[in-house]
Amino acid sequence: MRQKDIIILGIESSCDDTSAAVLKNSTILSNLIARQEIHELYGGVVPELASRAHQQNIIPVVDAALKKAGVTKDEIDAIAFTKGPGLMGSLVVGTSFAKAFSMAMNIPLLEVNHMMGHVLAHFIDDEGKDKPTFPFLCLTVSGGHTQIVLVEDHLSMKVIGTTIDDAAGEAFDKAAKMLGFPYPGGPLIDKFAKEGDPTKFTFAKPNIQGLDFSFSGLKTSILYFLQKETKLNSDFIEENKADLCASIQASVVDILLKKITKAAKEHNIHQIAIAGGVSANSGLRNALQEAGKKYQWNVFIPKFEYCTDNAAMIAITGKFLFEKGIFGNQKSAAASRLPINEWAIKK
Amino acid sequence: MNYILHIETSTKVCSVALSSNGEYVGVKESNEDAYSHGENLTEFISDILNEAQLTLNDLSAISVVSGPGSYTGLRIGVSTAKGLCYALGIPLIAVDALYSLAQIAQNKYPGYNLCPVIDARRMEVFNAIYAPSLKILKEISADVIDENSYQDFEPFIYFGDGAKKLEDIWQGRSCEIDTTIHASAKGQIPAATLKFNNKEFEDVAYFEPFYLKDFFTPQKA
Repeated sequence: MRQKDIIILGIESSCDDTSAAVLKNSTILSNLIARQEIHELYGGVVPELASRAHQQNIIPVVDAALKKAGVTKDEIDAIAFTKGPGLMGSLVVGTSFAKAFSMAMNIPLLEVNHMMGHVLAHFIDDEGKDKPTFPFLCLTVSGGHTQIVLVEDHLSMKVIGTTIDDAAGEAFDKAAKMLGFPYPGGPLIDKFAKEGDPTKFTFAKPNIQGLDFSFSGLKTSILYFLQKETKLNSDFIEENKADLCASIQASVVDILLKKITKAAKEHNIHQIAIAGGVSANSGLRNALQEAGKKYQWNVFIPKFEYCTDNAAMIAITGKFLFEKGIFGNQKSAAASRLPINEWAIKK
Repeated sequence: MNYILHIETSTKVCSVALSSNGEYVGVKESNEDAYSHGENLTEFISDILNEAQLTLNDLSAISVVSGPGSYTGLRIGVSTAKGLCYALGIPLIAVDALYSLAQIAQNKYPGYNLCPVIDARRMEVFNAIYAPSLKILKEISADVIDENSYQDFEPFIYFGDGAKKLEDIWQGRSCEIDTTIHASAKGQIPAATLKFNNKEFEDVAYFEPFYLKDFFTPQKA
């Protein structure tokens, strides 16, 4: 007998993107994101503005996602939302909406950890693509996080390495700012790096024990280097833009690769995945593929649309919670800090 | 029967009320030191409906406090109201936080000018001043308060979560504090019923809380 299809509505509002997705079993029917361009004027995400924009976007995005999926409200079996971690003012909008929707439609509520969502985006059906098998390691890199996650099962994860200061995406954005690029500058570094020589300039390398990361030393090193060079030649940045971008990108990627390689060796795991906004970076993607060939890893790289914050990853995580019967309740509240292993209310 | 659910989250009070054709049916609220709307609001809604032996499907509309007040509180109230209205397909009504507060004070102080004040940190408050009929005498604004603020409207009664901090500097004036009046969803019933009857509904998708203070936005160079 064929099992009944499970349809899950996912909601993501942890930072500056409002997103809604409709998942049918493991297939995404729609995954819409309302981006907030206002933050570009400030050179970074302004929490108060992000929250105000979520309030304006939440229903239009949900409504559009349902229409695109061809699903009516009554056909939804459960609603999954991002409980945390993230910006409180942003999280409460999605959380409150999801709780009210769940109560009014009388369907289960699924509380999702955003960082777990990034990892589980790999389990969304994608033709011709294999899904990781357990255990695997996931390098989750974004503007807010840099983690190596040991994934033992869909809902069993452990962070074995994390940044002690800036996140990798932050390092990209801050370096981009020093080069005079508009926010968010990370993707621009990637763009210009394609034309540059990654070995032209070298910057300080961190020396951190274990599997943890540090990017603040690199940031300072880039800053001092640029200050020194622009004093001698005020056009230094413009004249060396591509090489600077390529060299900065190579430095960040090198820091990331070193630690994931070390983790793979220590845990004797050959299944390596990346996730998060920075996994859209082509330098990181290429370096990981090359390392995969060298060390005989199975490398898993998500589709671009599942790298940055999106509700599809929240919906797929919700599906695993739904299957295990791990439901939230109306006491659920947003949590700005939320460790990856606390994915459900302690029963 | 037209049942309306009323939601008040503009201060630390988390309050939900139910009315039927403009008549008060019940209220469920808590006034804690910390904000607890995130945990309590939807539970209070379930409780009040259960007690009245109703379900969400019996509601004809939802009214929510529009502000001014605590941004986090307003966000939770408005997002919850939107989620309910969107799912149930019923209209959304908005009621001013200060008008709702004045409504509560009106019965206790007939014949007095009413000055509700909602805390906006330091010596700033959100305020409006109402005549005994609840006709507005001074429009809603965010004001930094001194010894002589609102002198033209004396005598008046002032109340709300911003009142306590004004007590010392307003001593000796012909205005009186009442610290027992606090925000409650009950205060929305008359205004919400009127709006319901006049079909003055908000756009469920795009409605925003009344933040009062604009956020400074730089222009692109």
